[in-house]
Amino acid sequence: MANDRDAVWADRYSRQIRFAPIGEQGQRKLADACVLIVGVGALGASLAQHMVRAGVGEVRLVDRDFVEPSNLQRQMLFDEADALAVLPKAVAAANKLRVINSGVKVTAEVAEVGRGNAERLAAGTQLVLDGTDNAKTRVLLSDVCYRLGIPFVYGGVAGAGAMSAVLIPGETSCFRCLIGADEHEQEADTCDTVGVLAAAVEFTAALQAAEAVKWLTGNRAAMRGTWLSADLWSFRVREAALPKGRAACAYCGQPHGAAAAAGQADSEGPEMVSALLCGRDSVQVTLGRALDLSRLECRLRERGCALTVNRYLVKAVLQDGVSLVLFPDGRVLVQGTHDAGRAVELCKEYILEQELPAPR
Amino acid sequence: MGKDTWKDFRLYVITAESNHPGKALVDVMEQTLIGGADILQLRNKTGSREEVLGQAKALRELTRKYNVPFIINDYPDIVLEVDADGVHLGQEDLPIAEARRLLGPEKIIGISTHSLQQALAAERDGADYIGVGPVFPTDTKPGRAAVTTSYVAEAARHVTIPFVAIGGITLGNVDTVLASGARRICSVSAIVGSSDPAATCRSFLERIEGASAGTLLVNVNGREQLTSARTIEEFVKQLEQHNKKLVVERNGELVPRALWAETELLSGDAIELVHFVGGG
Repeated sequence: MANDRDAVWADRYSRQIRFAPIGEQGQRKLADACVLIVGVGALGASLAQHMVRAGVGEVRLVDRDFVEPSNLQRQMLFDEADALAVLPKAVAAANKLRVINSGVKVTAEVAEVGRGNAERLAAGTQLVLDGTDNAKTRVLLSDVCYRLGIPFVYGGVAGAGAMSAVLIPGETSCFRCLIGADEHEQEADTCDTVGVLAAAVEFTAALQAAEAVKWLTGNRAAMRGTWLSADLWSFRVREAALPKGRAACAYCGQPHGAAAAAGQADSEGPEMVSALLCGRDSVQVTLGRALDLSRLECRLRERGCALTVNRYLVKAVLQDGVSLVLFPDGRVLVQGTHDAGRAVELCKEYILEQELPAPR
Repeated sequence: MGKDTWKDFRLYVITAESNHPGKALVDVMEQTLIGGADILQLRNKTGSREEVLGQAKALRELTRKYNVPFIINDYPDIVLEVDADGVHLGQEDLPIAEARRLLGPEKIIGISTHSLQQALAAERDGADYIGVGPVFPTDTKPGRAAVTTSYVAEAARHVTIPFVAIGGITLGNVDTVLASGARRICSVSAIVGSSDPAATCRSFLERIEGASAGTLLVNVNGREQLTSARTIEEFVKQLEQHNKKLVVERNGELVPRALWAETELLSGDAIELVHFVGGG
């Protein structure tokens, strides 16, 4: 009976509602809210769990990667079965989240976020939560958020270091102005070079989640309003005031919600693009067109590759220990190498030439 | 003299007859002007009004000849009588508003300050410039505790009207005062008490000009550092951090990457550089 079922869950949010700044009214606002979480790795998984347990009405997940053993030390939603099944992170996370709270609408998309899909994913949300691992995607998300008038909740982690800030259209500078979009400027420390402490992940995600709950429950005056940097090992926390938007900027220099539609939705082009993944001995190669996985599966099997197949991807282990993980959206994660050139060559050899008719 | 050109002064000299026994006041002060001093104050705390008036008339004539502003310590009535360019007040003298009422809008009013609070009050009350000091202990004003160069650095950061560092400044210590952000120096005994005031003034001016073209003292991640950088962008380059993604904080506020090139570095700035953290 519906009434009995309701009675069982009546206290579900009681401790959150008892927290005075949220209350019944804040809880209703959470239930009406929709958030996008970009990247469901360490930060994203933790953020997703916070949002789903808090009772946010709709949680959208998007991630380009799959679960593997090295994730389990810090990515709180995943387990050994997910890694063995090579499940995409967005899918594995959504499976867990639906068990945690069936009242939340959880959607999962296995894709790389780029100019072609970012605006569609963010449209209709009240917040975009940052679980990405690179500055380039953050610049893109910030641009889209400022265009749509949606706050962007930045979070970053590496080693024991944490950083976070909420960038709000009409109030603060945007990510593009604050950090810059220059790809020649390298990040000093990444999860690849310095590793990452699980506690630093949770610390950062907690900072982001607290601001998200404030925003979604209408507690705008309680927003922290600073760029916070912390080191959990030496325990140092610093906060710097966030400057207002820069008048000359096409994104944060505009009145709320009126940012320019500049550079919108131009595709990455057909050429191959490679990028190193954070914390992984992997290179992502974007082929620029969709892949027919069932056809490729047969060809790769014929070439003697050991395959793991699920409905989201095909993983092929090559002779020399390198693996190719193929996604239908045209991306290949080449595992077991840092060498982008080699990764591209392997994709040409195993995927492009097999899929195209042979020239002879 | 144009209305505001006096504000470009660099070397402020003050009379102190007891420092040059046997030499005439006007002769010594003329030597300072020959040496390049570009603002002169008559200070006589012990003489009678008659004596001060006589000195004021003589120094007015001298400073006219060298086209240098002439300020009288206290005595707004004498300022009006000899048509001096302004008055200099102490914290215990008549209030700025009262001096302004007596002298009108055109005269220069300066005041000695010994803390940032007094400096900001003077600015608010309409002072045209302030003295910042005594930077070092001095016999000219015995019994007053030195404010040290940290007040000079504070003034460099927060005071918008011209400020002149004063008190115990000699050729031996002027560089640290300049490194703290002062660009106008006042020296009393080290100049009028020297055997060659003109040469001493020239030496002071060389040091002031060197500092204006040269180094700033900034605090970087908790450590004092001298730099010739003029902007955040130049500074980051000097530290060889320009190929990395950085978060730069200046005096408690984040400086957007997009504004590094146009954000001026000032002496006394507290800069924090943190590597951008981007993993997820």
